[in-house]
Amino acid sequence: MSGSRALAAVGTYLPPWGDGRGRTTGPDEDAVTLAVAAGRAALGEAGPQVRAVVFVTRELPLLVGGNAAALLAGIGLPDDVPVTEQVGGAPAVFDALVGAAPGTLVVAADAQAGAPAGAAAALVGDTGVPIELVDRVVRSLPVQSRVDGGPARDYADPRLQRERGLGPAVEALELSDKPVAVAGLVAKQAAALSAGHAPQLATLGASAALFALAGLEQVGTGGLVLAVEQASATAIRIGGVPAVRRDEPAVRAPQRTVDNPGPEIAISLAAYERAFDAKLRWEAGRCDACGTLAMPPRFRCLGCGSEAGWSPAPLPRTGAVYTGVTVHVPVPGLPTPYSLAIVELDGVDVRALVKVTGVPAGTTEIGDRGRLVLRRVAVRSGIPDYGYALFPDPRPADAGQREGAA
Amino acid sequence: MRRVAIAGAGMTPFAEHFGLGIKELVPMAVSEMAAHVDKGLDRADIEAAWFGELTTTDGFPSGILADTCGLLDIPVTRVENACATGNDAVRNATYAVGSGVVDVALVVGADKVRESSARGTFWEWAGLTRDMAWDYPLGLVAPANFALHVARYLHESPATREHLAMVAVKNHKHAVPNTKAQLRYEITLQQALDAPIVVAPFGLYDCTPQSDGAAALLLVAEDVVDRYTDRPVWVRGVGLGLDRVMHQHKKDMTTFPPTVKASRAAYSMAGLGPEDIDVAEVHDCFTGVELISYEDLGFVEKFEAYTLIENGTTAVGGSKPVNPSGGLKAKGHPPGATGVAQCVELFEQLRGQAANQVDGARNALAHNIGGPTAVSAVTVLSSEKG
Repeated sequence: MSGSRALAAVGTYLPPWGDGRGRTTGPDEDAVTLAVAAGRAALGEAGPQVRAVVFVTRELPLLVGGNAAALLAGIGLPDDVPVTEQVGGAPAVFDALVGAAPGTLVVAADAQAGAPAGAAAALVGDTGVPIELVDRVVRSLPVQSRVDGGPARDYADPRLQRERGLGPAVEALELSDKPVAVAGLVAKQAAALSAGHAPQLATLGASAALFALAGLEQVGTGGLVLAVEQASATAIRIGGVPAVRRDEPAVRAPQRTVDNPGPEIAISLAAYERAFDAKLRWEAGRCDACGTLAMPPRFRCLGCGSEAGWSPAPLPRTGAVYTGVTVHVPVPGLPTPYSLAIVELDGVDVRALVKVTGVPAGTTEIGDRGRLVLRRVAVRSGIPDYGYALFPDPRPADAGQREGAA
Repeated sequence: MRRVAIAGAGMTPFAEHFGLGIKELVPMAVSEMAAHVDKGLDRADIEAAWFGELTTTDGFPSGILADTCGLLDIPVTRVENACATGNDAVRNATYAVGSGVVDVALVVGADKVRESSARGTFWEWAGLTRDMAWDYPLGLVAPANFALHVARYLHESPATREHLAMVAVKNHKHAVPNTKAQLRYEITLQQALDAPIVVAPFGLYDCTPQSDGAAALLLVAEDVVDRYTDRPVWVRGVGLGLDRVMHQHKKDMTTFPPTVKASRAAYSMAGLGPEDIDVAEVHDCFTGVELISYEDLGFVEKFEAYTLIENGTTAVGGSKPVNPSGGLKAKGHPPGATGVAQCVELFEQLRGQAANQVDGARNALAHNIGGPTAVSAVTVLSSEKG
């Protein structure tokens, strides 16, 4: 674990829903969709070569077969990139970061109900801001626990946590100077441990470690960064302020929806498998004969009728609403109300039928513009069904609501 | 092709028939039809049957028709063409009789929607018309399929939600005298506008109810029509039209190209045009669909449908009454039965025996659209042989 690494870029994502205390996931978000948004932010438009992905969260969807395929497809990485899925908190993210080879994308997501939600990703590169491990300590004091993704249990003894958990852990690290940022603690505790004005972080779990690195933008300098979780801690040193790209839409009050009980929504796994790449990678089929795009891809070309074949072609991720409706009637198995839109994608003759996300149902109108983002469209017979949704651009009237990482 | 006539028509009331299964509804409709053939019907005369049923309850549709109606010795073919099933069953039987192969054909349409739990029905029926990977999981409920069209239509045309409500008010009023109708009460414009929103822009009164029911027609060749009636109604034209299945692939959502194609085919076969139609049963599963269909059927210019509902043209008493039965909106909509029942209504209209009679009606048109908006079937009927 010795030797230094360089941090090429950090990307962050926050769900639009929440209040002054933090963000919450929408009904169409989970750790995977959060991680995808953060991963895409970290990589930017350039899409540098990624040779490995490490995905750290305590809300890993326990899908037999893993979340790796959805993660790679959503981020837009090839299907031969190895993915490590790891259950862990903020220290585990730093452990992964300092142990990673150049070309590794470390993605961390927090999606626990009742805790601040968000995700962040960091790309380890050959160039960038140097990072190195200072020290770590791994101890046990499970004041918060969960079994098999069940409800969080809180031992509810903050003094015990402080005196026998956090305190001894930080002492054990024998830090030479005070950290410039601390991940895994509420703002007041973090400030008490830090030098100067530690950045206030959007989350408390795994992603907090990377939000701390992004927060160095506000600090204006590198230095010692500490990540703690219960009685464990990892400290790293970063040689400057990394490049940060944020996907942090303005916060708005969570939409009130009604969960409608009903039978499980059926899924055809054969249809799921056939659609997977186009659906999660946002790729049309381009006719090999005439170039006409079809979404979804199809055997016979919409334009020239060729059946000679098609090749995947990335679709634009922005567009305008051609028509849209809002469903108010209770739909078994889906939270209502929700809006649907047919979106004309920019610069191509392709329309997509998608759900609307990120704004209250019924607020999107014909002509509104937005971007297409990966969401968990439905859970069908227990299987997360990912696809794209329209996230409308803020209207001028919404601009006043904009605030930082709440 | 030989001329084809309708010699008998009958139907069950449309309702939530919790107490009746498909095995009761089908023979009930056939018996009512048989009882109303002017000169009587010996079932042994029936040479073939076409059965329009969109979904199926209690088993295999063709077998159920043959078994429950005592028709075990003739061929029975099930027709399924989404909500255009009923008029497509009429079309298939018309070709068989017209071709000379069959002299006497039975057409039955039926569906039993209220047969599974209200929660279960939605996803079961959605599965019939949605792409399993791309559209099904979005929660594209039946009203949403049509609302996507009507939202765009309201955006581009001068029509408003008030015009949708006027369609509901008209069709509810039309249903009052119809003893077969499911919703036999009048509503006010304000009631329609204030009703809970189902899928915007549709409120509760913009939507058809869920219905069970069956309807039957006896189609006979010109050569033998005298055996059954002296007042036949002639099947002058039939047509079927299709479009791309997915909404994403429909270029202009303010129109239903299947209706344009189906009606063009039916008018052409009939030698009649939209101006000749005296009364029509139009697929008003949602009010806005009736408006768009005025244009697609050629009753009015593009984006001027609102004028017909505003000035009463399409009410009984107007110059082109639409849905005197109450339409799908108020008569009800058991999908397989709907198109056949439209022809039952028009058979009575053209013989001057309808509950809500249009004076002097000679030419009539029945129209379905479905799939959700990818198939249309149109039938043109006339009291004149042509």
